[in-house]
Amino acid sequence: MTEPHEQQQERRAPRPGGPAESGLDVSAVALEGASKRPKAAREAIFELDDVGVSYGDKLAVREIGFDIAQREITALIGPSGCGKSTLLRCLNRMNDLIPGAKVSGSVRYHGQDLYGSQVDPVEVRKRIGMVFQKPNPFPKSIYDNIAFGPRVLGMKGDMDQIVESALRRGALWDEVKDRLKTNAFGMSGGQQQRLCIARALATDPDVILMDEPCSALDPISTGKIEDLMLELRESYSIVIVTHNMQQAARVSDMTAFFTVQLEEDGGHRTGRMVEFDETEKIFTNPGDERTEAYVTGKVG
Amino acid sequence: MPDTTRHQFQDELAQLEVQALGGLDMVCDALDRAIEVVQHQDVELASMVIADDDRIDGRYLEVHQGILSLLALQAPVAGDLRLVAALLHVIKHIERMGDQCVNMAKLVPLAGHEPPADADMLDKIARMGELARSLTQQCKLAFQRRDAALAQDLVRQDDGIDRLNRECFHRALEIGDDADQREWAMHMMLIARCLERIGDNAVDIGEQTAFVVTGLFREFEDASHPELTPGGGS
Repeated sequence: MTEPHEQQQERRAPRPGGPAESGLDVSAVALEGASKRPKAAREAIFELDDVGVSYGDKLAVREIGFDIAQREITALIGPSGCGKSTLLRCLNRMNDLIPGAKVSGSVRYHGQDLYGSQVDPVEVRKRIGMVFQKPNPFPKSIYDNIAFGPRVLGMKGDMDQIVESALRRGALWDEVKDRLKTNAFGMSGGQQQRLCIARALATDPDVILMDEPCSALDPISTGKIEDLMLELRESYSIVIVTHNMQQAARVSDMTAFFTVQLEEDGGHRTGRMVEFDETEKIFTNPGDERTEAYVTGKVG
Repeated sequence: MPDTTRHQFQDELAQLEVQALGGLDMVCDALDRAIEVVQHQDVELASMVIADDDRIDGRYLEVHQGILSLLALQAPVAGDLRLVAALLHVIKHIERMGDQCVNMAKLVPLAGHEPPADADMLDKIARMGELARSLTQQCKLAFQRRDAALAQDLVRQDDGIDRLNRECFHRALEIGDDADQREWAMHMMLIARCLERIGDNAVDIGEQTAFVVTGLFREFEDASHPELTPGGGS
């Protein structure tokens, strides 16, 4: 499925970094907030080059190129239909499950071609977990929800410990430790979503993909998930698709803005990435007027 | 650009800008009167300048509250955020410019009923007043037009005020041995200082214009390194 492109480098968004690109001229007046998270040397966990996804003969997104760094939260924002969820699903080969879906370009994970012929999609999804818009626990006990993945994958070790560890990392242990055998459907929506995150963590992934994880939750549950994301950032890389721009601004380190563009033939619309930069820059001084118009809400 | 949204927010933000920049017109009025007060030792007019500063202070409070509401309710970002942040600075500078007019008006009665005025010094102050007025108008225009070049040009005019301020100082030193005249000259020096500060506030508003336009905050003049500033800065 991979179609390496000779001009890959040209289509990749430049990796922002130096102070000259930070939006504020710190050489003139020091304005950097003390609370700003110190940036260690960024190491890419995903390298995307000229990535395109099509369903049948219809191209959904094209020419996507940027790096996703380890132990950072990367937000994908943009209007409906811009292909951000489609791209997210590329990152753990979820699109393989959709008939007619085809990925072109190069998606490298830890330097390896994610779509290489030797790569096992099940192993990919074990290491790159996904959390969806609507909490989707299995109709099983809390314990069995967490233990499901490790059992299917034949993971060795004490299952009780695996379950407890995952629930602790999902910031849920204290709330459910006395009712592990009760049905997960009895939990609140916010708890169910944290259960889904804990379930993703149980297989020891290093990346969590989140597709609008808070859109069905109230503000308090949303706050808990956001706190959890910031804690998980210490150990995991997170990529989140969100329509809530304040959420992207609150939690993410880097933001990619996508838009929908009418193709030259006028036939159909395709998602494109417009800008990828530090979240602070995107929300204070974006480089592209389309980003500016979107984040300020001037266009829907 | 496709159809725009958030009309109410955009209207409120535009209205807030009009309100804030309208404060500069109030400063111009106060400045004209303050110069008139100085030129004619008009104590009555001085009390009006002092009383009318409440209007500028009121404008400051209105705009400040409006900005707080917008931040709380509309969560502006990007260009809108820069504009809101800049307006917060701009209205503070305007309030300070109004205060400088009050300071000038308060100094005139202290100089005495029929002081031994020096025509040369009064002329310098009159010229400073004209330049301060011109700077005030120009900083408003630059902000309205989002014209960073016009904003940068404020520095050139401000250098003229700084030069006249130093000339006032030297004139006061040379004014002679008469105690009354020296006292008057000291008061005039303080008035010159007020006008010089108004010029600086206008330049600061120019810096906010450049910030809104470019997203970069850069001081046009560096008071910490006056050796790098033409004319010595202040």
